[in-house]
Amino acid sequence: MSLQEPVLCQRIPTWPWGDPADRHLIGLDEYLSTGGYAALDKALAMQPTEVIAAVKESELRGRGGAGFPAGMKWGFLPPEDGKQRFLTVNADESEPGTFKDRLLLDFDPHLLLEGIAICMHACRLDTAYIYIRGEYHAQAKTLQKAVDESYKHNVFGENSKLGRINDRAPQCYVHRGAGAYICGEETALLESLEGKRGWPRNKPPFPAIAGAFARPTIINNVETLAIVPAIIDRGPAWFKSMGKDRPEGAPPAVPASFGPKLYGISGHVNRPGVYEDDLGIKVSTLIETHGQGMRGGKKFKGAIPGGISMGILGPDQYDAELDFDIGKKYGCLGLGTAGVIVMDEDTDMVAVARNICRFFSHESCGQCTPCREGTGWMYKLLTRIEAGGGTSKDIDLLLELSGSMGSMPGTTICGLADGANWAVRTIVNKFRADFEAKVRKKPHSRLRVLPVGVG
Amino acid sequence: MAWIVKNSATQQIDKRDEPYLDDTLRAELEAEIIPRYPTRQAATLPVLHALQHKHHWLPHQALAEAAGFLGLHPSEVLDTATFYEDFRLQPMGQYLIMVCQSLSCELMGHTSLVDALRDKLGIEPGGTTDDGRFTLLTVECLGSCGTAPCALVNETLHESLTIENLDKVLNELP
Ligand SMILES: Cc1cc2nc3c(=O)[nH]c(=O)nc-3n(C[C@H](O)[C@H](O)[C@H](O)COP(=O)(O)O)c2cc1C
Ligand code: SF4
Repeated sequence: MSLQEPVLCQRIPTWPWGDPADRHLIGLDEYLSTGGYAALDKALAMQPTEVIAAVKESELRGRGGAGFPAGMKWGFLPPEDGKQRFLTVNADESEPGTFKDRLLLDFDPHLLLEGIAICMHACRLDTAYIYIRGEYHAQAKTLQKAVDESYKHNVFGENSKLGRINDRAPQCYVHRGAGAYICGEETALLESLEGKRGWPRNKPPFPAIAGAFARPTIINNVETLAIVPAIIDRGPAWFKSMGKDRPEGAPPAVPASFGPKLYGISGHVNRPGVYEDDLGIKVSTLIETHGQGMRGGKKFKGAIPGGISMGILGPDQYDAELDFDIGKKYGCLGLGTAGVIVMDEDTDMVAVARNICRFFSHESCGQCTPCREGTGWMYKLLTRIEAGGGTSKDIDLLLELSGSMGSMPGTTICGLADGANWAVRTIVNKFRADFEAKVRKKPHSRLRVLPVGVG
Repeated sequence: MAWIVKNSATQQIDKRDEPYLDDTLRAELEAEIIPRYPTRQAATLPVLHALQHKHHWLPHQALAEAAGFLGLHPSEVLDTATFYEDFRLQPMGQYLIMVCQSLSCELMGHTSLVDALRDKLGIEPGGTTDDGRFTLLTVECLGSCGTAPCALVNETLHESLTIENLDKVLNELP
């Protein structure tokens, strides 16, 4: 199984179809001359409900981390009431290991804008905000330029070909974040968009009912929206010819993994980068074919499947399939962003866990005690173990602490703590020997035990 | 550290006569940014970005002026500003070197970059050189994992760094 032709990378030279050295920004003219905005015209000839039905039928799942079916999300919106409704595009991409949305923003921003316009038409949303992380300075400028071009081409604005939506001219704005990972969480993003600190909200209400400015709001990842034009252009059946179906006879509750996917690969491989392939390729294929093998011919030790929140794959999981069922099958949280971080035999897993905990303790928004305090404690414990000052009890303490934090154990508001939970638990469980080797078997006894009867 | 609210209650606020949010910027923001959002508060991040872009950091007076412009209490703007890593509430060096320390960059050897910078600049992460030229920071993931290790110098990203090419980047700064 391997992708026949590039879809998201159709205009972005990427191995094996093209040489990344030839990449350049696709401006409006080149976008139009290569078939761009044709899918939008096709969607505009369809009823909004037909567009949603096509996306539903394609079984497209969100590419931002959670894998929620996009068509179903779009279907949750209440009926129109004539007031404003929003699309917020999640371009906050801050999960370590993830740099895939950046490829689209750097080189083919109109693909995203076309997806946005189709979504606005389908869901009757009049205003789109693209929330892009603050550190993406160059990307924000590129994107703004593309947005300006799209206004001139009447995708958005007073003379938009979308017509009026909710009795308003459709608008699309770039909104820059300011260096906070948590603002990638959808409700934190909304708070941040409203000009407040990025504190995730309790759900329900879900954003589709009461999102930005307490109005119905759809939130989708950049890659999710960027694939929509192809689905409209070539149809759900074509989309489902790529990727991986659910196992034969499996109930619909088992997620299918249709379509192409952008994979990021970084760490100890010869050719790191972003590649496009079918959903469901094996980690080994990604490393050997796209990554051109392990750096220095070293042995594979482990890999993070999709951003550090997802936990880790061990040495015996080299052939794990990168699809939406990876979590259940291989004991991790999920596919996440498919930003794979590869580690060779020389990697110290205690240091990996320490690095990850520092990230989470730094990025915790601080609302929930288990997350705010727990991630910090784990970071301290891991620093101590790494420095050789830990005891075997510390390992159990790590497992106890990590296992108790997160929205799944029900102790926190959002999924950041689940990320810390899964990362630490799976690293400790799958690489316990690394930890055992660093700790003292018995705690130091600080008190001198005196023989009975002295004095 | 997103959740630590930086010191504010006992801080002396330096005042100057000339406003940070001057009439030109005010008019520009009023025309370009405010109409984008249903509330004025939603323009907080764009307004702070604009102020910081102009002044390189956000003095308290600038925050208070932003609050006035946004129809908010200064504490509301301070509340938001302290949450975000990018907003600098203290003066910084002319060049802010932000070395990524997240997992892919650590696997690819960011530590040697930080050590080299320590030696070259004679400061620890968080510090500023005496001449006010450089501030060194270690930051979390910059979204450049495929070209790790990387660092932002002000608004420019530098990728696939080695000690040598980072040195070159710094030496060539105006
Ligand atoms: C802590 C945290 C950080 C997240 N960061 C991002 C992000 O940077 N980009 C993104 O698209 N989704 C991120 N998500 C997922 C979003 O909450 C949301 O599920 C997603 O944007 C929905 O879009 P999709 O359905 O198209 O994937 C994050 C979630 C959590 C819990
Ligand atoms: S889990 Fe952590 S990041 Fe999420 S809301 Fe709670 S404290 Fe904030």
